[in-house]
Amino acid sequence: MKTVCNFIVLTAAIHGALARAENWAGWRGPNRNAVSPEKNIPTTWSENEGVRWRSQLPGAGISSPVIWGERIFLTSSDGPKQDNLHVICLSRRDGRELWRQRLWGTSPTRYHATKSNMASPTPVTDGKHVFAFFGTGDLFCFEIDGHLVWHRSLASEYGRFENRFAATSSPLLHGDMVIVQCDHYGDSYAVAVDQNTGADRWKVERPDEWLSWSSPQIVPVGDTGKHELLLCGSLKIDGFDPQTGSKLWTVGGLQQECIPTPVFGHGLIYAVSGPGGKSLAIRPGGHGDVSDSHVVWENSRGVPFVPSAILVGDLYYLVDDDGIATCLDARDGKRVWQKRLAGRYTASAIGTGEHIYFFNEDGETIVIRAKCNNFEQISRNRINEPVFASPAISQGDLFIRTTKELLCIGPD
Amino acid sequence: MIAGLYLRVCAAVVLLAHVPVASPIQADEIDELIAVVAKAGPQGAGSVEARRASTLLTKRGVEILPRLLRAMDTPNVVAANWYRSAYESIVAREAAKPAPEFPVPFLQEFARDSKRQGRPRRMVLSLLDELTPAYRDSILPTLLDDAEFRSDAVALVLRQGDRAKAKGDVKKAKTKFQAAFKHAREVGQLTGATDRLNAVGVNVNIIEQMGFVTRWYLLGPFDAPGRSGFDESYPPEKSVDISAGYTGKDGTKIQWMLSQTGDRLGQVDLIQAIAPVKEAVGYAYAELNCRQDQNVQLRCGADDNLTVWLNGEKILARRQWLNGTRLDRFAAPALLQRGKNKLLVKICQGPQHKNPAVPNNWSLQLRFCDETGYAADFESALPEAAR
Repeated sequence: MKTVCNFIVLTAAIHGALARAENWAGWRGPNRNAVSPEKNIPTTWSENEGVRWRSQLPGAGISSPVIWGERIFLTSSDGPKQDNLHVICLSRRDGRELWRQRLWGTSPTRYHATKSNMASPTPVTDGKHVFAFFGTGDLFCFEIDGHLVWHRSLASEYGRFENRFAATSSPLLHGDMVIVQCDHYGDSYAVAVDQNTGADRWKVERPDEWLSWSSPQIVPVGDTGKHELLLCGSLKIDGFDPQTGSKLWTVGGLQQECIPTPVFGHGLIYAVSGPGGKSLAIRPGGHGDVSDSHVVWENSRGVPFVPSAILVGDLYYLVDDDGIATCLDARDGKRVWQKRLAGRYTASAIGTGEHIYFFNEDGETIVIRAKCNNFEQISRNRINEPVFASPAISQGDLFIRTTKELLCIGPD
Repeated sequence: MIAGLYLRVCAAVVLLAHVPVASPIQADEIDELIAVVAKAGPQGAGSVEARRASTLLTKRGVEILPRLLRAMDTPNVVAANWYRSAYESIVAREAAKPAPEFPVPFLQEFARDSKRQGRPRRMVLSLLDELTPAYRDSILPTLLDDAEFRSDAVALVLRQGDRAKAKGDVKKAKTKFQAAFKHAREVGQLTGATDRLNAVGVNVNIIEQMGFVTRWYLLGPFDAPGRSGFDESYPPEKSVDISAGYTGKDGTKIQWMLSQTGDRLGQVDLIQAIAPVKEAVGYAYAELNCRQDQNVQLRCGADDNLTVWLNGEKILARRQWLNGTRLDRFAAPALLQRGKNKLLVKICQGPQHKNPAVPNNWSLQLRFCDETGYAADFESALPEAAR
């Protein structure tokens, strides 16, 4: 098996020159699948080696860094109620702060002592604007040079969020809309906002949904040119028309409180929620309750509560909160391998076509070879600060947010 | 903030006390710009105009800070953020000067003005930490009843008490701890003050301070297969008859039982008080006497979930399951009427968690308080002694 893996590595090396320098524009990067098309991303580093720069960050935040060109965007919050919000822009080259906007959040909620705060949702950019959503129920639009364009206080307009761990759902860009999922103890809803004006394009009430932390996902429907918006929460995943917010289909089988974001590949939606739940592979394009007709496979092995799964090639990887890593065959859901990793996991795994990176809460990263039918660990790298935010890959570098800093892992 | 700002500002403060602001401003123009920003609101309305106005305000100097700060004293958080955007730019520009000329006396007055919105006051106090570092600790003890700085003030007074006790001045420590207990609203500070007072021989009552209802008639368990209990209506929802008996889960005869919780924070353990069951419903009933009508907050939590009726009106219902009873998880406005108030709570108990290691919890915690978290004025109308 190792020979096969080495052949894949050699092939990848031959094509390495074709590797693209990609942006990481929002939660889970390209297509929100957490897989970068780039090659030759660093696989070894330590507290003192392989770190090109590190930049202190204000306050707290578990949102991911977002990278577009030479700019990195992050969010954080501080203050006794965590309602003092920061949107920060750093230079990708050296981590220098280019600008920072300080804003007030409308209505802070409860939050976890370490694993969440008002800056849990990851911002998103289209290269012209940055959209930042906070657990206080506020959505902001900035130009990429930091000028505020508009501010929506959803908590003022539609009721304060009721959340015991703070909202974490990350906004999604589709067409000229920014879509936000607001599932909480109170009146849940999803809303699509005009990117230019900040006004609602549509808003769909979710009266049967209660607290969830999952982020919306958008997927193509075959070759139709159409897309479906996916929202996970309250025991099911729902498909919507992203243009109107009309509900198209539903598939049951998720847990009451959903956190992971679905991924897409091979024409299938891969949704998961735990603990004690299952992974589901679902064909898009249904109408009504398609729990019986559109679920291609399901598997209850290694299901996480917090970290999202990742799909690389034909393999679907999960790591649960306790560090059990599981690899399933994406085509039929059968187990390929399972392995206990060190530590506990909040951050979601990311990858390239070559490697999968698992980041535990102790600051340790376990890198394994991707697209291999056995567990092959490449490296184990430690930094000295806890990691709860999901890292990002862009332009040859790896960006890891610790509880205090942003680290750029890459060659000098 | 820039290092050395404090020293550079000291001279400027003296200067400002005697010299008019350097660049006269056109009051009308600033007022107009501030009025434009004030119109920013829901649905992104007014954003284009607010941005234009904010940009123009940003170009002004520290002389407009007082008016910007007064404008920030608004419940409209959208407008407040547009003002703040201009404020932050002006402050950063001024702080970078060799001799910044911040209007320190105004800033100090603004920070301690309890009638204003908390968020700009806290922002200003952060600036004052750089300009006049001793100012925070000098005013906090005077802000024990302040909506924004109460917690900071209580924390400071607790620290002062700890220092006094460490030096052997128990009398002063008691005074500090008592002041902290009286003004604290956060449970961590209340329990911290209580523990400190107990250690110096003073007993206090958190239950009374926070307004927990601790004396209940309890009834259950009713049968509620799966998670059906939340939507199912049982006899107490039609009328409460304390003397009545009912058929409960598994055919058992059940009746109302008077119960007084001894929990420090008023939590009622229904596993102990009713039965260690699953898939069931229980009710808690209390009567509260009030000397006057009061608009108050109901704050509560339950495992698995709860529905609350006050004087026959459903004022809160939360369906979620298996979340544990957490202090103040849910809140709703409530009207406690003069005289007797009838309070009924339904607490559902769902199936065992898929993980058999998850313990069987069935509990309730409920209080009535004002917006700060201080107990509403009521007393139990139920008999004193538990049966």
